[in-house]
Amino acid sequence: MATTACFIIVSRNDIPIYEAEVGVAAKREDAAQLHQFILHAALDIVQDLAWTTSAMYLKSVDRFNELVVSVLMLLHDSRNDDGIKSFFQDVHELYIKTLLNPLYLPGSRITSSHFDTKVRALARKYL
Amino acid sequence: MDPLMTPLGQMLLEEITPVVMLISTPSVEEASLKNGLSFLQTLTPFCSFDNIDVPVRTASDQPYRLHKFKLRLFYASDVKRPDLKVAKEQLKQVITEAGEKEFPDSSSDLPEINLELTSSSEYQNTPSWFRFLNKELVRVASFSDHEAFDHPVICLLAVSSKDEQPINRFVDFFNTDKLPSLLNDGAMDPKISKHYLLVHDNQDGPADRASRILTEMRNTFGTSDCSLLCINSSVDAPFKHQDNPWASYITDSSSTPSQGLGCFLNTDDIDEIKVLMQDLSSKHIIPNMEQKIRILNQQVSATRKGFKNQIKNLWWRKGKEDGADSLSGPAYNFNSIESQIRVLGDYAFMLRDYELALSNYRLISTDYKIDKAWKRYAGVQEMMGLTYFILDQSRKEAEYCMENAFNTYLKLGSLGQLNATRCGLWWIEMLKARDQYKEAATVYFRICGEDILHSAVMLEQASYCYLLSKPSMLRKYGFHVVLSGEQYKKCDQIKHAIRTYRCALSVFRGTTWSYINDHVHFHIGQWYASLAMYDVAVKHMTEILSCSHQSKTTQELFLGDFLQIVEKTGRTYEVTKLQLPVINISTLRVIYEDFRTFGSPSAANTREGLWRSLEEEMLPSFSAAKTNWLELQSKLMLKKHSQNVCVAGESVKVTIEFENPLQISIPISSVTLVCKYSASTDEVISNEIESSMEKDNKVDHFRNMSSDNSSFMVSEVDLLLGGGETTMIELSVTPKEEGTLEIIGVRWKLSGTIVGFYDFELGQPKKNIKGRKTKDLPNEKFKFMVIKSIPKLQGSIHPLPGKAYAGDLRQLVLELRNPSEFPVKNLKMKISHPRFLIIGKQENVMSEFPACLRKKTDSVQSDVHANPNITYDTVFLFPEGTSVQGETPFLWPLWFRAAVPGDISLCMSIYYEMGDVSSIIKYRILRLHYNVQVLPSLDVSFQICPFRSSLEEFLVRLDVVNKTSSESFQVCQLSSVGHQWEISLVQAPDSIFPSQSLMAGQAISCFFTLKKSRRLPTDGDNMSTLPVRSNARLVPQSIEDIVYDINSAPLINFHHYERLQQEVSYKGDLNTVDFVLISWPFKSSDDAGFSNPSSVMSHHACHFSTASTGPISWLVDGPQTMHHDFSASFCEISMKMHIHNSAGATAFVRIDTLDSAGNGGHMNSVNVVQSATTDNQAGWHDITPVNELKVTSNALETQPGKALSLESASSYIWSGSSSTHLHIEAMSSVEIPLQICVFSPGTYDLSNYALNWKLPYNGQGDSDEKKQHSGQCQGYKYYLTVLQST
Repeated sequence: MATTACFIIVSRNDIPIYEAEVGVAAKREDAAQLHQFILHAALDIVQDLAWTTSAMYLKSVDRFNELVVSVLMLLHDSRNDDGIKSFFQDVHELYIKTLLNPLYLPGSRITSSHFDTKVRALARKYL
Repeated sequence: MDPLMTPLGQMLLEEITPVVMLISTPSVEEASLKNGLSFLQTLTPFCSFDNIDVPVRTASDQPYRLHKFKLRLFYASDVKRPDLKVAKEQLKQVITEAGEKEFPDSSSDLPEINLELTSSSEYQNTPSWFRFLNKELVRVASFSDHEAFDHPVICLLAVSSKDEQPINRFVDFFNTDKLPSLLNDGAMDPKISKHYLLVHDNQDGPADRASRILTEMRNTFGTSDCSLLCINSSVDAPFKHQDNPWASYITDSSSTPSQGLGCFLNTDDIDEIKVLMQDLSSKHIIPNMEQKIRILNQQVSATRKGFKNQIKNLWWRKGKEDGADSLSGPAYNFNSIESQIRVLGDYAFMLRDYELALSNYRLISTDYKIDKAWKRYAGVQEMMGLTYFILDQSRKEAEYCMENAFNTYLKLGSLGQLNATRCGLWWIEMLKARDQYKEAATVYFRICGEDILHSAVMLEQASYCYLLSKPSMLRKYGFHVVLSGEQYKKCDQIKHAIRTYRCALSVFRGTTWSYINDHVHFHIGQWYASLAMYDVAVKHMTEILSCSHQSKTTQELFLGDFLQIVEKTGRTYEVTKLQLPVINISTLRVIYEDFRTFGSPSAANTREGLWRSLEEEMLPSFSAAKTNWLELQSKLMLKKHSQNVCVAGESVKVTIEFENPLQISIPISSVTLVCKYSASTDEVISNEIESSMEKDNKVDHFRNMSSDNSSFMVSEVDLLLGGGETTMIELSVTPKEEGTLEIIGVRWKLSGTIVGFYDFELGQPKKNIKGRKTKDLPNEKFKFMVIKSIPKLQGSIHPLPGKAYAGDLRQLVLELRNPSEFPVKNLKMKISHPRFLIIGKQENVMSEFPACLRKKTDSVQSDVHANPNITYDTVFLFPEGTSVQGETPFLWPLWFRAAVPGDISLCMSIYYEMGDVSSIIKYRILRLHYNVQVLPSLDVSFQICPFRSSLEEFLVRLDVVNKTSSESFQVCQLSSVGHQWEISLVQAPDSIFPSQSLMAGQAISCFFTLKKSRRLPTDGDNMSTLPVRSNARLVPQSIEDIVYDINSAPLINFHHYERLQQEVSYKGDLNTVDFVLISWPFKSSDDAGFSNPSSVMSHHACHFSTASTGPISWLVDGPQTMHHDFSASFCEISMKMHIHNSAGATAFVRIDTLDSAGNGGHMNSVNVVQSATTDNQAGWHDITPVNELKVTSNALETQPGKALSLESASSYIWSGSSSTHLHIEAMSSVEIPLQICVFSPGTYDLSNYALNWKLPYNGQGDSDEKKQHSGQCQGYKYYLTVLQST
């Protein structure tokens, strides 16, 4: 399990629609904004890469010191590529399920507690 | 693009140039200081040549010409590693100065990132001090012993003509150990070529002595190496230069004005200097270098070139390998072959023979690598990279070399830090020149070392690179700007920090990355505060106040800091957009009283439509009332519609929800409405004034309004909002004078220091304006026309319970007060739920409850009976002449009965007219609203079935279930309503209620006989006087005296509404009976109040039909058993049939007596009809008779067949008339004789007859149609046993 992992789903126009700190490390007070900063900055690179590849999984696109950013926006510090890949796959599936909910407006924040618990469970499983 | 024309190329041409070491005597310096310049500075401007045009030949004899050339002059004492500390101090100063200069005006808007501008030129965008800073950083790394291009090529020795023994001085220069360490420690060849310069100050006299010394010098040192320079030729008049050549070279120009520089140097002097320097470079330096290159090249070729040498070299190096393993590698002195190769390379580089330079660098780099002389290796790699770049050959190679060099420097740790920085900067320039900004940014990022300030600058430059890259990476830019800002903060460069964060803000503005926004705003706020710029600080801090996503500690920190800053401003701060607390504009409600007044807030919250429908009948219709309505009334009405009206002295209430998004509680004080008052009622003018005013400065506007409150009063609310709490706040404003009042917004004080405003108008959604056709102003809702004070009634209902059990009956008092001096009249009242609340009579006020309900033996109840249908459904008019005025309250009794369980909202409207006030408002309405929760108590149900034994007597079964959870009740009395019924208990009361009460959840049933009273309704006078047994007491005898009169005032009225409510389809059916069950809450026996129950409950059950089979009921009366001697004759038995018509009209009845034979089929069909019709009857109480009937009809079906099959002889025959026609008057009985003949003894069922009845169809409307008009009834079973008498 990665000690640091911050997972964010970003919709169009850079609006984060879901955020979760899924690492096991004790949350530092300033970590939240640092992670957001890194992830936000990594969007630039994602934006570039998105046009060059059709793959959903972009491996590590950006790094800041020891923290690595993978796409679908996960910030992590472990090397477990396969785990991250399957984590993304499952979360993506979850996300699609959420999208299918007629009451969910695409692009709005995901507030479902069910989604949250599922994501955290997946994080425990894979990361 | 020519690599030399790029910024890096220019930089290299300037920086990597031959160094001239200058040694001068103090008198030379003295002479030049007259011009405000040192001797070095005097010469410097003339050291760069744009078109020197010197022919040079490469090592391989390829001729080319040098055009641009530059020399670098250094004093001998400066030819050493620059002092790191001094350099750092200097850098810091530069940064601080830049910070002051670049510090943004706090009032200015955030910088907009103009992408088009950035694409055009980078240097316009990036601050200029970066370039200077970078240059300084490169310079700091100069004079390293591992590089040769900083080694002086020539030594310029300057001696003044004033000096004693100038020749000796020249010699002395080299004898002393003033020489730089580079030369002394053997890193450099000490046999440096020299040039001797004699400086003559013309102010000291003519140049005779100087020329004499010069000739002497020429003799001593050789003619070519000596020259004379005369300066300060303009003797008296200070010479003004058109464009001062020195100005740009003097960095600390602040100390001396540039105008005075070189004031004694005239044009001749300058020309002389120029010529001197040109000669020096073209005739001495370049040829010298060229020559040296040749020599070195030959040496290098001899020792290293060729296959043999390479093998040898490799072998030799291998042997050395294990020996030296220090970081710096082995020390090379100047005459080692490695140093010489390096010098050769550097010289070739400086003379722009890049091919040669490159080949030498390549040669040496492998050597250094093998030797593990990492610093030298890195240096060579660096130069290789640059050479590749300038040659524009292989980009990859160039980058690879630079990266290699950079990494190697970094590996050296602190030793290589400076060089790494320089190398990085060059690398960056290289990348920039090729538009690889992204890569450049990463290099900047890597340059960041331990030095915080340094890394801050680098990070900022990195961020600019991201901005310049294509496509520009704004987010990265933002991130790195923030990072650099953080570093600036760490080294106390607050202004820089703020500047960078403000840049970041322009990126992050409008995004929903909450943590980022909070971080940026919070820090900017803090830093502004530390600069004592509190206004701006507060502005930024307000942005982060509603940070519900942050943890509690962070929220506390934010709020705490914010308050601290506000405190420091030393005044109550006012902001228009304070986010704390959050105001829910959708919950905004304005409650005002025009002609409608409200008794309680809940009344105001009740739907307007509900009130409208309630008051419909009470309100006078204007158009009909006024004769000249066209003129007067229409105007009034128009005005009324266009603007809200409120009355002076009466408050306008505004309710709005405040929400605290934080987890910590926040104190909020003095929440008030901000209102605007104008004395004129002309709305148009005031609107215009206001709209022009409002646009300007909202805050000022608010401030003005808050101070001026002479014409209205606003209420203040203080509260403490807990974490995550939402509170509804009621605010009010009370105008005192006539005019126009407008509610603009709300203001509040947070923690007693900061004042927030909220403008209702801005917060309101605009869509409802769109829908309107008229051009209504959006603030119409908040604008009021204040009119003169008029009376207002206040009313309340006194002991109205919030909770009651179903059936609870109470006496209430309506109290009306009129505080104003004007009386009100024409009071009317209407109640929404007359089933629950009815209006009593004036005299009831005084009567005691519940004693007044009890039956008084001698009471006169005629008034009730005389008019039992008092105005039930219409408006209640208070007696004529009722006027409410002054302090004395007006009381009126009301009766309350909780009719059905559930939540009931009771609405009352009281209409009144003003006494003698002439106003727009002629009348007002007081609206009272109460909520009552009614709990279920007793569930009462009845079943009625007729007695077979007697006509018009019924058995009533009462089932009572206590549905409460804890309460017990005592069931007191069951009464039947009306006078035609008598009711009596079948059992004794003690046997029904052994515990005297009905416990929670308990169910009982008891039986009563119900008998129709024989008395005819015509003798009405007797009725009241005679004791009517319509009440059955269910309590023990001990409290016999308590009998409630269900015909008394409130009970009978309530009963009326119950009847209306429970009415089904039985309208006009006279055979129904209504029951009233009286009970009270049971108190335990030790309670003294047992015998005097304070409350009474009544349960009404109406419309129980007694008529089961239609309007006709009959009874066959005759003997049951007879003895007859059949041997004598057949037996003739006469019987009687009582027929009763309970219908309201005369019935035609035909009795058909059927003989047993031959009529079975007919009977069957009748049965079918019969059962079908009874099924149509609705209501549960019919079920029993239907079932009963079915049983009989089944029996009938089999009976005739059986009779037929058995024996025809055993049957009987009707001996009377086979068909009898009767007219039975309404509600009357007749008696008919019947006779049968029996021929043998046996038991006979005399049901073989049918009654056909018919009611006249008089077409009285819909209700009649539902009823049956005719029918046929089969006879009852009536068994007659005839025995043979002996």
